[in-house]
Amino acid sequence: MQTEATLAQADVSELDLVRRCQAGDTEAFDELVTRNRTRVFSMIYNMVHSEQDAWDLAQDSFLKAWKSIERFRGQSSFYTWIYRIVMNVTIDWLRKKHVKGAGAEFDDATLLKEVDPASKTVPKAEALPYETMERGEIRARIDQAIAQLSPEQRAVILMKEVEGMQYHEIAEALGCSIGTVMSRLFYARKKLQNLLRDVYENI
Amino acid sequence: MKTFEEKWTAWVDGQLSGRELSEFEASLPDTAAAEAEKAGALKLGELLKRELSARTLTNEEFFSHQLRENIVRESSAPSRVREARSTWWTIPRLLWTGAGSLAVFLVFTVLVMHEKNPAEESQYLTQILNARVDPVVSPDASVSIFEAKQDRVTVLWTEGLQSLPADYAAK
Repeated sequence: MQTEATLAQADVSELDLVRRCQAGDTEAFDELVTRNRTRVFSMIYNMVHSEQDAWDLAQDSFLKAWKSIERFRGQSSFYTWIYRIVMNVTIDWLRKKHVKGAGAEFDDATLLKEVDPASKTVPKAEALPYETMERGEIRARIDQAIAQLSPEQRAVILMKEVEGMQYHEIAEALGCSIGTVMSRLFYARKKLQNLLRDVYENI
Repeated sequence: MKTFEEKWTAWVDGQLSGRELSEFEASLPDTAAAEAEKAGALKLGELLKRELSARTLTNEEFFSHQLRENIVRESSAPSRVREARSTWWTIPRLLWTGAGSLAVFLVFTVLVMHEKNPAEESQYLTQILNARVDPVVSPDASVSIFEAKQDRVTVLWTEGLQSLPADYAAK
């Protein structure tokens, strides 16, 4: 567990690394990449469900971060800042892929109509005992369920539940209001509860 | 004013307190069902946290290596763009210069030819008409015209005529 002192040290050194990056130091950027690459990759992977695509998108995100590092003012953590880039890159990619694949776009409004705010979640299928489900099957079910969310909803629920980010950090990363984050979180949870109730109720 | 969705999310995440919490809970039509939903949402969160946090990046060093290469490539790209841009500007410029020179040349040529002294021209304007008069009557007939501009004389030279067509008869 990190103490306050080590946290402060980490913050200072991160800011120092950013300052060096802004002066053109690629080694400092390399260090920032090393610190954040797994988290960034993992986040993207959970959104796109393809290792190769996640790799490419993570590369693209870091490259964009390097090119725009001069604009980083240090008002948030580097991680929150780069998350904004990661989300832009990944959500754009998901939208383009969806348009190519299905000839339609994700639309929050359309997706929201599918979930009644006052509805209770109902198991989609019969309850399956956790023991009988292989870990891969559970993972596949989760991936399938997440794939049914809009890119923004995916981003919100993953940042909240997996990354443990606060509403305001998510809002900053996505460039939207806290109210929008909470609303998206509401509908994403409802939908996932509908789709995965039999999984989480039997664990 | 928070929407129902925002209040619900805040309630699930334990972000409501005091009067806001009591008001929200009082507004719920079925508290037991809502509590069950909240418990389900929390379990969902645990499931996602446990299952999705495990993903790690393999070949981490190769990832960084590839990124370094991309950065180097991108860093040299602007100069290449500048070079390409300067080449792109040179080609049209050369084309315009060439076209302009050609236009100037043609204008001067026309002017010089137009103002050329008639005395320097050849004596006969070679305007030859190889027209057959009537291929049935005179199959080998031909008509040639020679014009001497200086003397203001035109000579009509005919060959191989069997007879002169009525149109050609002197009036």
